[in-house]
Amino acid sequence: MVIVLCEESDMGALWAADRLRSQGLAVTIITGADLATADRWEHRVGQAGVTFELELAGGRQFSSHEVGGVLNRLSYLPAAWIQRVGGSDRDYAIQEMYAFYLSWLHSLREPLLNPPAPQGLCGNWRHPSVWVTLAGRAGLTTPIYRQSSDDDPDAFWKLATVPAPTTVFVVNEQVIVQAGMPEQLRDPCIRLARAAGARLLGIDFTLSTAGEWCFAGASVMPDLFRGGEPLIGALAEALVA
Amino acid sequence: MILLCGIPSESPLAMVAHALEKLGTDYRILNQRDVADYSIAWQIVAGEVDGTLCLGTKTYRLADIDGAYFRLMDDRLLPELEGEADGSPARRHARAFHDALYRWLEVAPGRIVNRSDPQGSNGSKPYQAQLILQYGLQVPETLITNDPNLVVAFQREHGTLIYKSISGVRSIVQALGEDDLARLDQIRWCPVQFQAMIPGNNMRVHVVDQEIYATEIISDTLDYRYARRNGGSAELRAAVLPSDIAERCVALTHGLGLAFAGIDLKITPDGEIFCFEVNPCPAFSFYEANTGQPISLALARYLANRA
Repeated sequence: MVIVLCEESDMGALWAADRLRSQGLAVTIITGADLATADRWEHRVGQAGVTFELELAGGRQFSSHEVGGVLNRLSYLPAAWIQRVGGSDRDYAIQEMYAFYLSWLHSLREPLLNPPAPQGLCGNWRHPSVWVTLAGRAGLTTPIYRQSSDDDPDAFWKLATVPAPTTVFVVNEQVIVQAGMPEQLRDPCIRLARAAGARLLGIDFTLSTAGEWCFAGASVMPDLFRGGEPLIGALAEALVA
Repeated sequence: MILLCGIPSESPLAMVAHALEKLGTDYRILNQRDVADYSIAWQIVAGEVDGTLCLGTKTYRLADIDGAYFRLMDDRLLPELEGEADGSPARRHARAFHDALYRWLEVAPGRIVNRSDPQGSNGSKPYQAQLILQYGLQVPETLITNDPNLVVAFQREHGTLIYKSISGVRSIVQALGEDDLARLDQIRWCPVQFQAMIPGNNMRVHVVDQEIYATEIISDTLDYRYARRNGGSAELRAAVLPSDIAERCVALTHGLGLAFAGIDLKITPDGEIFCFEVNPCPAFSFYEANTGQPISLALARYLANRA
């Protein structure tokens, strides 16, 4: 059974689930709202291995050995759960639940796109400066990055959310390059995804006036619509590998 | 040049400064409390990182910094900012300086102890336990659940249980007692972590690159860190680990992307060894002060690249 984990507002993930079903995959969607109202969690770590059992409201049950292939689009705790938490221990409760989700998601069997990281539940949500460094080392043309103690730290994150015109997808080392982009981008994109530890990575590019494709950013939770059917094909292959 | 960042009087930082002096290594201290007089500017060009750091009247090229050891306190809590309104120029400058410093430390070449990114595993104990298992060390049997019935069954299986935070938030380890069982229904809204209690002595292992310092702690309390507060005692003494365990500790530290770590082990009366946690920013001074183990010197040697 392939699972798509996502917020109920993640239209890209819901679309991908639908398209994956059309390719013959048995896909189950578990939304943030489903998780927020889960009746029972059981997660064990020990010498016998790492397991989980999850029972959702309404009786749907999942366990370690039944799940195979997960498209993980939970970047953070489900919004529906966070909305229910209040009181003086709110921050502590959120930290505890995040730590729990990190461990639970890490225990999911491969293939898992993407595995969680302490810095993001569907992969490491890196600072733009780190992406620029990794991209440069991977051999991509990168813009000059500057930061100083005169800058507003939040501005760098805002810059990262501006959509770039073109996205290249890497899915398990399979590269989906958009029409008109040079094939030479493939290897550096694979190197970047490898360095980032991401099995699903969206890499944004801009085209300079000199005609050079320049790295503009990367995301472990890319806009799946942009990948179209070629991305769905790659995901289908990766999720049943 | 080596950069030490934090509060100079804090014991670990002071000990490393002293050790660097002993080695005759050039170093500078970035004292957070002087942040008003500091500035930093850096850039990444084609993957290369460089820039300048101004500490008062002195300016340094970042490319000349070969290593950095940082133990930064939350800049919002600096005494110098007490009374400053949110968003005041002084607070804005402190935040912007620390963010720019942190970001540089993440991408700077050289020996950085430790970068923030790999420290993250400590934010979730069961997540880190899964990584620890990969390196061949045993971890205590652990159950995280919101189901009280499972806790009762787990207790029947393992005897005395302890409970503690799942996250990196420091919590005092507690044994699950009758009073706790009576209020077990409260776990239904948020899963809680329970572990089989492991009897025996605690062992703190400091790994510095390839060097290893093991300290055994003989204590009559469940959480030796709070022994004195709880009217108990804790005696520390240098110890030697079995070579296979020592090798696993070094491999684990490197596998987590750390150059320096404090690994918490427990040795049972039967000689079994369990690993509880890897601390990526260990306050080693307590152990060095009580045993004389030269941890700060090892760290200074690592920073100075003097094997």
